Parts: sequence; structure tokens; C-alpha cells
Amino acid sequence: MRVPFLITAVIVSAGVLLSLVLPDYHLRLLNLSVVSAIALIGLNFAFGYAGLISLGHAAFVGMGAYGLAILTTRMGWSPWRAMLVATTATAAFAGLIGLPLLRLKGHYLALATLGLNVSFYIVAANWIDLTGGTNGISRIPELTIAGRAIAGERPFLWFGLAVLAAITIVAFMIHTSRYGRAMIAVRDDETAAAMSGIDVTMTKIAAFVLSAVCAAIAGCLFACHVRFVAPEDFSYAHSITYLAMLIVGGESTIVGAILGAAVLTFLPEWLRFLGSAYLAFFGLMMLAILVFLPSGIAGLGRYLPRLRSPTRAAPASVSAKELGP
Amino acid sequence: MSILQARAITKQFGGLLALSAVELTIAAGEFVAVIGPNGAGKSTLLNILTGLLMPDGGQVLFDGKDITRLATHKRVRSGLGRTFQHGRTFARLTVLENVMIGAAIRGDRTERAIRDAALAVLDQMGLAAEANESIGSLSYGRRRMVELCRALACEPRVLLLDEPAAGLNSGEVDQLVDRLTELRARQQLTIVLIEHNMGMVMRLAERIAVLNFGRKIADGPPAQVQADPAVLSAYLGHGYNRASV
Amino acid sequence: MADLSQLLINGLAIGSVYALAAIGFVIVYSATGVVNFAAGQFVMFGTFAGVAMLINARLPWPSGYGAALAAMALFGALFFFVVYLPLRKSPIVTIIVATVAVGITMQNVALLTFGSWPFRLPSPVEGWTVTIAGTVVPAHFVAVIVVTAVMVGLLWLLFYRTPVGIGMRAVAQDIQAARLMGLKVNRLLALSWILAALLAGVAGLMLGPIWFADVNMGDPIALKAFAATIIGGFGSLPGAIVGGMFVGLSEVLGASYVSSAYKDLISFGIMIGFLLVRPQGVFGERIQDRG
Repeated sequence: MRVPFLITAVIVSAGVLLSLVLPDYHLRLLNLSVVSAIALIGLNFAFGYAGLISLGHAAFVGMGAYGLAILTTRMGWSPWRAMLVATTATAAFAGLIGLPLLRLKGHYLALATLGLNVSFYIVAANWIDLTGGTNGISRIPELTIAGRAIAGERPFLWFGLAVLAAITIVAFMIHTSRYGRAMIAVRDDETAAAMSGIDVTMTKIAAFVLSAVCAAIAGCLFACHVRFVAPEDFSYAHSITYLAMLIVGGESTIVGAILGAAVLTFLPEWLRFLGSAYLAFFGLMMLAILVFLPSGIAGLGRYLPRLRSPTRAAPASVSAKELGP
Repeated sequence: MSILQARAITKQFGGLLALSAVELTIAAGEFVAVIGPNGAGKSTLLNILTGLLMPDGGQVLFDGKDITRLATHKRVRSGLGRTFQHGRTFARLTVLENVMIGAAIRGDRTERAIRDAALAVLDQMGLAAEANESIGSLSYGRRRMVELCRALACEPRVLLLDEPAAGLNSGEVDQLVDRLTELRARQQLTIVLIEHNMGMVMRLAERIAVLNFGRKIADGPPAQVQADPAVLSAYLGHGYNRASV
Repeated sequence: MADLSQLLINGLAIGSVYALAAIGFVIVYSATGVVNFAAGQFVMFGTFAGVAMLINARLPWPSGYGAALAAMALFGALFFFVVYLPLRKSPIVTIIVATVAVGITMQNVALLTFGSWPFRLPSPVEGWTVTIAGTVVPAHFVAVIVVTAVMVGLLWLLFYRTPVGIGMRAVAQDIQAARLMGLKVNRLLALSWILAALLAGVAGLMLGPIWFADVNMGDPIALKAFAATIIGGFGSLPGAIVGGMFVGLSEVLGASYVSSAYKDLISFGIMIGFLLVRPQGVFGERIQDRG
């Protein structure tokens, strides 16, 4: 467990350091990357570990965000209480829909989750009484700690980093537990997984629900920070962006998820010199990354000297030696 | 007392009758080999016994209980283990983690206990030195041993082996035979073996059942089955003659 | 009743466009296993190829249409070389994201070239009307249905009566066997991309006069084509046609009888229902996981 804490510490201190030197505009982007990273750690459970191709992740982010927005603005709840309920509700929805949905595989699952995301958008844009339609919901209250609002980019970044650190550590703990291994086994070979005593359906649903929980938390943070939600923020294009972030970062690693969120959020900024040609170039660049760097940015780590494996493997190799012939 | 029983199992694929009223009774502690030419229905039978396929007719009994409709993972948890024809391991997990998947079958185990149980199995099967290797770095034969370790870590009472010797060199086959003999000597383990390697079958099996075109054509002690004219005719031109010489 | 028959013609015309987009999608999927998320942008390119040739270059419509389709065929070949070949061995999700990425590029290239202001692409039968069972409908709608029927007939001839088409079907069924039979597999794969681009071109040219030519039109078309494909049956050509018509009709009828806001929810609801209850769709036979 030492390495995950180390990685988390590096990420948090990098974030805190940046928060002291960057101007507000860049902090805003950094905040968006932190929120995306939280959502991505969730997607990594579903896609990276369990291999579920979800094109509906943005819908879960949206459910969290809209849930919080509706509970706080219409019912006057405190953001914390609303966050808890919105996240729980999103998780329950994911579990319910997952039961029939996750029997599908590959592109069938991709298109079904895409349909889910499109349906969410249509409802969010048209159920005007509840969601405010395309005008969205504004004046969402900020989160408060001990009576003080987490307002402004810098305090929110500190808070977001703390949440990200907590979720990263939990994710690492799940990764190295029987549940994480079960998810990976299910992606590698469902039949062999079942034949090793793994409940494949439950494992997939658990991964899906976990992904929805992280998505909903990200959505709630987004809503409290931007203080405004609209259907556009949760369209299926965002789901595809999430998948792209995960692949660019390096699929099926938590560090990759965080890197991908940061890189793809800042990319528009770095490509600003291209002006209006930016998006056209962005698509080509994604294609180039997929072709030339299929294991993503985290995959580049393989070419570096092996820094992490000795620490991680040490206890196991000692005991293996003790028991060896 | 039978521990695993197939009763009148019938399975059809399209117009093809893969299994026709097949009966197979395995007593606790027995070592039974199921042999037959390619396409005789051996793997189909294993798939039905383990719940990967549903039979069109018939029943599967385990410990006297009807498990015909029971999900695969529940059968495994109640003590039915299996390896696959071409070896199926989890490529993104290490050797140890592969076996830990099996060892996690007992829900009350801590992470530490899972790891220790898995290491114990690896040690017993002579794979402890490779515990932290990635699956991809192992030879095919070693990978199949990892799969066997994973199945053993599930602590099965009945272990079904689907052609475990296929693709192994003769040294690896000998090693496999030794390990299986040791296993049987050490713990009460019932084994059902599907195999083409008749040398291995003859060295291990106490009883042999023969399938041909989805029907059981013989069932008895090796010497009796070996002399059975129906078996000989089913096997003409197959490995049986070559291996038994 | 006049109202209903007008709606039916309208729905069938829109459905024809979806069907053609879905057919192109299915041809590529069957042959190459690629789920092309840029399928909607292909249709958008078709429409704007028409804008470029008919409006910008002021070509008369027969040569303008020909030039637009030729451009689309070239684009299909380009897509084959630049996107499909480098990624043909990648996992399905990489290909999904890659086609989306290229779709983003296509959309923004169109935006840079033509601007965000929508164009009105004229129809060759602009202003003509046809009277069917006492209902007056624009001749263009009828033309769209007729052209689609002709295209489907031509496709049938191609796939069942010509060596090239039979080869393409062989590749779709078993690429290894096709290779062993000595078929020039890569050429046939390239041809399926070209064919898909051509069909998208026809769909785009016919859609231009119905909707406005807008660089953002790709996504909605892609979503409708996906719904059509799932409802009809993944990988099935008759399914793509029936699914496309179904989506077109449910959209037009739903908008007028149920709710114009929720008209799209009908086809997506039915698509999700099919996925859950009958993932092979109306015509699909084999379910295989290419993932």
C-alpha cells in the first residue's frame, strides 16, 4: 500500500503547488480536470477493469449534478445532504439498469449505454418543470465547511484535491482486493472467472455501480463549483470524451485516468494558437495517439527504469522465497 | 456413494445430437477418465457438468443435490473445480494473483489469508518461484500449471480436467502425472479426466468411460475397457492403438 | 386522413435517408467489424459535397451530383487508408473512439470551410408537387423514396449478381476463408468503405433539401442510424432498411401525435427495449461479440 499513497501524495502536492502559481483561469481548468479525474476513476472500474464499454458515463455525472441541483434549489436541502442522496440515487439507478443492461457485450453495450445517455439528455432538456429545460438550473449553493463556503477557484481546488486523493486511495484499495482482481478476471475471461467461483454478473454490476458513484460525486462537485447545470454539460459527447481521456491516459490504470483527465482538459489551452482549427486538429491528434500510443501516456512509463515494481513486489517475493523449493 | 452424477444427459446443437442420454456416476475419491474420439461430446459433457451449458434433458447431481440449473460460480463454491482444454488464465494478473482468484472463494478469508493459501498451492505444485511473474512470460506448459493451481485453490472436492496434457512435452506430462498422483495421495480429491494421451490415462485412471458420437459405449476398469470390441472399433485409426502399444 | 398520408410520406422519406445511412454503417460493420461512429458525419459530408458542387461551384445538378459522389468515394478510400488500416487490429473501443475523433475533425473541417450558417441545398425537383390519394406532397419526398428503392435494388444486384459483391459477402462471412480462396481481401475491404461513403453521399444529397445543410447534422443522423441498425438487427441489410423506415416514421408520427419534444425518446426507448429483449433485432440471426 505504500506506492498508492506515494502517487496520491505526488498528485496532491503537484496540485497544491500549481494552485499557488497559476492564474485563476488556469485554476478553473485544473478544477475541471480534478472533477473529470474523479469521474474517470469511476469509469476505470467499469471499463478499465471489468471491460464494460460505457458510452453513458456522462449521464451518471449528470444524474449526480441534477440530483444535487434539484434538491438544493427546489427543496432547500444543504449541498452535503443533497450530495449524499443524489449519489445514492444514481448508484441505485445504475444497479437497477445494470441488471438487464450488462448482459450485453462489446458494441451492443456501447450502443445501449449511448442510448441511455441520449435519453437522459432528452429528458433533462425537456422536463422543464423539474430541470429547467435547456436553460438549466442556476444559483446552486456552494459547499460549506464549518460555515465557510468553498468559494473561488483556489479553495475549491484544495477541496477537490482532497476528494480526489481520498477516492484514489479507495480505488487503489479496491484494485488490490479480491473485488478488484475479480473485475480484472471478468474482463480477461468471463468463463474462466465463473469457473473460479466469481459471480460474473454481480462483479459487473458492482463495477458499474462503483463507476456511477464516482461519476455522481464528480457531478455534485461540478454543480457546486460551477453553480449552474444544463443538459449540454452531460451530452453523450462528454461520455466519449471520458473514454478518450481514459485511453489517452492509459487504460486500466488509476494514474492513467488522472493523467488523461489533466491532459485532455488542458489540451484546448495548449492548442489555442491554432485558433478555430483547434477541434479539427484535436481529432487528428486523438487518432495519432490511438495509432502510435495504444497504451496511452501511462504506457510510456514502461520505457522508464522500473521504479515501482520492486517496492510493490517486495513482500510477495520474500514470502515466495521462503516457501520456494 | 456417488458425489457427482450425470443422469440421462441429452444435448443438441442445431440438428446435431452432441450427447444422447449419457449416464455417468462418479464415486467420492475415484479417478475416472472419460475418453473418446474428437467430437464424441466429452467437452460438452464437462460444460454441462459445470453449468457453462444447459442440457436439453437430464439432470446433474452433486452430493445428491440437483444442480442442473445452478449457476457455474455456485457449483464452484460448493466444490466443483475445472480446468479448460487450452488453458485459460487471466493475462493481466500475475501468477500469484491468478491463484488468489481461486483462493478468494472462501468469503471469510482476509487478503493475507488469500495470499497465503494461494502461495501454499503454488508451492505444492512447484510454481512458488514464479509467483510474481506475469502470465505472458510463462511457457504454455507452466501456464496450464497455473490454471491447475487456480482450480486447486478453489478447494474442490471434484476436479474436472479437460485434456490437461494437450500441448505439453513428455517431461511436462510426467511432471503432471506425478503432481496429480501426489494430490490424490495427500487429499481426498475426486478427479474426472478427459484426455487423448492414453499413456497418461492408463497410468492414472481407476475407471474409464468411453463416449462415441454422444453415446456412452463403455464404462469400467481400464483392462476391461481396453479389451472391449466396441471401444476398439470406435478408436480404429485413432491414438488409442498407438498409445497402448 | 389527408394529414396522415402526408405524414406517412414524410416519415418514409426521412426513414429512407436513415436507412441509407444505416446500410452504409452495416456494410462496413459486416465487412470490417468496425462500428463507425463517424457514420453521421459521412452523411453530413455528403450534404456539403452537394453544397460545394451545386452552390459554390454552380454545377448543374446531374454533373454536380456526380462530382459530389465522386468526392465521397475518394473520401471513403481515404478513410480506409488513414483510419481503418492503421487501427484494424485494435480493440473495439479504440476504434469507436478513433471514429469519433475523426468525426470531430470532419465536423470542424466542414465548419472551417462552410461556416456555421446553414445552407439551403436545392432539390432537382424543387417546387414540384405530387398528388397521392388526394394529398399534395412535395415531389422531393417521393423522389427520395424512389431513389432509395432503386439504391436498394442496385445493392441487391451488386451483392448477389456480381463477382465483386459476392466477394464482399465472402469477406464479411469469413475473412480468413476469403483470403485462402485467393480473393483480394484488402481491395474488397476498401471497396466496402467506398460503398459506405457513396451511400452516405446519396443520403446526404437527398437530406439537404429536407433539412438545412448544417455542419452539426451528423450526430443526430448517426444516432438515428444506430437505432435503426439495432431495431432491424445488427449486421442485417434488410434490417437496416426496415429499422430506418421505422425510426423515420416513429419520429414524424411521434412528433405530431405524441410530443415533438420527446419524439426522439420513442426510437431510443424502442432501441434500448430491443437491446434488452431481443438484441438480434428484427432480422438479425447470429449474435456474436466482436469486442
